[in-house]
Amino acid sequence: MSLLKLQGVKKIYQQGRVEVEALRGIDLEIEAGEFTSIGGPSGSGKTTLLNMIGCLHRPTIGQIIFDGDEIEKLPKEELAMLRRHNLGFIFQDYNLIPVLTVYENVELALRLLGDVEKKEIKERVVNILKSVGLGDYINRKPNELSGGQKQRVSIARALVKEPKLVLADEPTANLDSKTSEDVLEVMLEMNQKLTTTFIFSTHDPQVMEYAKRLLTLKDGKIIEDRKNS
Amino acid sequence: MFLAKLALKNLTRHKRRVLITASIIALGMAMFLIYDSIQTGLNELSFANIINLETGHIQVVDKEYWEQREKLPLKNLIAQSENLSSVIKEIPYFKAATPQLKFSANLNNGIDQLPVLACGIDSMTYSQVFTTKDYIIEGSMFNQGKQETILGKKLANLMDLKVGDYLTLIFKTKTNTFNTIDLKITGLLQTNNPKINENLVYLPLSLAQQSLNLEGKITGMTIRLKEDGVAQQVSEDLNQSLASLDNKLAAHSWRASAGEVIAMSKAETAEKLTIMSLILLMAAVGIVNTIILSSLERTKEIGMMKALGLKENEIIFIFMVEAMGIGLIGAILGSLLGSLVILYFNLYGINLTALLGGVGDWGLPVMGRLYGYWNLSAFIFVIAFGVIISLLSSILPARWVARKDPIEAMYGIHN
Ligand SMILES: Nc1ncnc2c1ncn2[C@@H]1O[C@H](COP(=O)(O)OP(=O)(O)OP(=O)(O)O)[C@@H](O)[C@H]1O
Ligand SMILES: [Mg+2]
Repeated sequence: MSLLKLQGVKKIYQQGRVEVEALRGIDLEIEAGEFTSIGGPSGSGKTTLLNMIGCLHRPTIGQIIFDGDEIEKLPKEELAMLRRHNLGFIFQDYNLIPVLTVYENVELALRLLGDVEKKEIKERVVNILKSVGLGDYINRKPNELSGGQKQRVSIARALVKEPKLVLADEPTANLDSKTSEDVLEVMLEMNQKLTTTFIFSTHDPQVMEYAKRLLTLKDGKIIEDRKNS
Repeated sequence: MFLAKLALKNLTRHKRRVLITASIIALGMAMFLIYDSIQTGLNELSFANIINLETGHIQVVDKEYWEQREKLPLKNLIAQSENLSSVIKEIPYFKAATPQLKFSANLNNGIDQLPVLACGIDSMTYSQVFTTKDYIIEGSMFNQGKQETILGKKLANLMDLKVGDYLTLIFKTKTNTFNTIDLKITGLLQTNNPKINENLVYLPLSLAQQSLNLEGKITGMTIRLKEDGVAQQVSEDLNQSLASLDNKLAAHSWRASAGEVIAMSKAETAEKLTIMSLILLMAAVGIVNTIILSSLERTKEIGMMKALGLKENEIIFIFMVEAMGIGLIGAILGSLLGSLVILYFNLYGINLTALLGGVGDWGLPVMGRLYGYWNLSAFIFVIAFGVIISLLSSILPARWVARKDPIEAMYGIHN
């Protein structure tokens, strides 16, 4: 059984009086362990698609099945629990909490799980920060970091709880190409070590090359779906 | 706990805004504490004045006399007896008891005449029950058995009298004939009780009894106990013992005479509640405003928290703890501010006489300096109140924040 299945997913946004059909019928299956990129021009619906998969929005029409659960049937509380345990998010503009240190920002994701021991929390947070290259920045506040470093914190935050699926909306948009490659290496390593499934959107062909499967969106439809060898 | 910690850290984001909101709350709380301190101080002072200068803790008088006591009749007096004294001495917490004979008279200085309350007292035991003697500011207490008197300095000034002068009391005796006594002034009083300063003339009990044709008769016995708080209970017990001695006698605790003051303090409690509701409103408006502002600034962050899997309740919790933090800061600042002002009142007092132009008659039997009263329960109340109001008023805005669509929250501003 696939980890994620979308069937006839449509999303219509109301922009004033105009209806915008951001997704026009998406059928998609993602297997556990995939490392998939979503490409496509601006406005093609990449962000919208990731938000649907991340249960942050419900589709206007269609069905999303995550890990055997039909998402539209779950109440809000259970969706929150599903995100908490199984989904990691990496945002284009980091969204770190400014009053918390680097360590605490990452710790928050793990704390929410509730059943992790203190010692293990520390170990895991420190390890993940080291592996994204922030071992020396643990006690900094976000405003003392560069954009690239902030994004690495946000990646560490998404990965620290070892979720089943990580969704990243243009994770490298604000990073230089060297850092972008480092970040993709970390993601790939997690993908291989923990069989975490990754779906990320990007405009960058170099980043796209890391993906094992490449999807291309246009006008809210998947126009290409190919394996990368 | 992590979320609570996060919430408290959030307070450092806009220190000035938090401080302003907290200060508004603090100001209200301090106002309340100061008001409460003065009011309690005023009541305590009134009660102390009543006990120390007017009624002692318990008065034993004839039941019918008690009804008529304002008119100072010479009927229904009681006999000074050993039996009565020994019953009184046996009550618990007993400290001292003294006889009094009160009557109305006119004070004459040879030119003018003024109605006064004359009070025959046994100067020895009187000083064990009342503190009146401590307020003699000129001269000294009269000698028992001599034709001497002490009176309020204010009254003396009014009648142009000083220590060493003679005054004449004119009054009706038991048999309804007029009589006069000439008394030499040995001392002048200035108490915190305006009634005594303006209206009272003290003279030896035996002299009063003779002049009124009331040998062996007194208005009543006044009792002082070792503690204030037990007066009500002891007076009820005493009533039981008195019943077997003479069923016309009754004991009354000082509270029965302090009805006016007690009623007034009840009215003040209503005022206090009004002040409290205003503070409540101020605090609530401040908190609601602060929460709404913070949430508007943090919409993206709230969207992120939802993506992390925080439930609505947890987001509400964060904002409520933040609000509670502001309330607590406000209450603590308010308590500090209140303490400072109350401390000042305690050290220097407020000069009521200056404040009221020396008139002194404004319902409460107090004059002189009022000292603030430390009311610990008021502090506890204010802090608890600040925290609870902040919590309550944050619920609605926090819910509003938490229910926002995470996507709108995250991207809404850009689209
Ligand atoms: N919250 C929203 N309300 C209204 N319209 C929206 C909303 N979000 C997206 N849209 C519209 O839906 C369409 C798809 O947008 P989306 O953000 O998914 O594209 P994208 O592929 O992520 O673009 P980009 O590469 O610029 O990030 C666009 O036309 C956009 O204007
Ligand atoms: Mg996008």
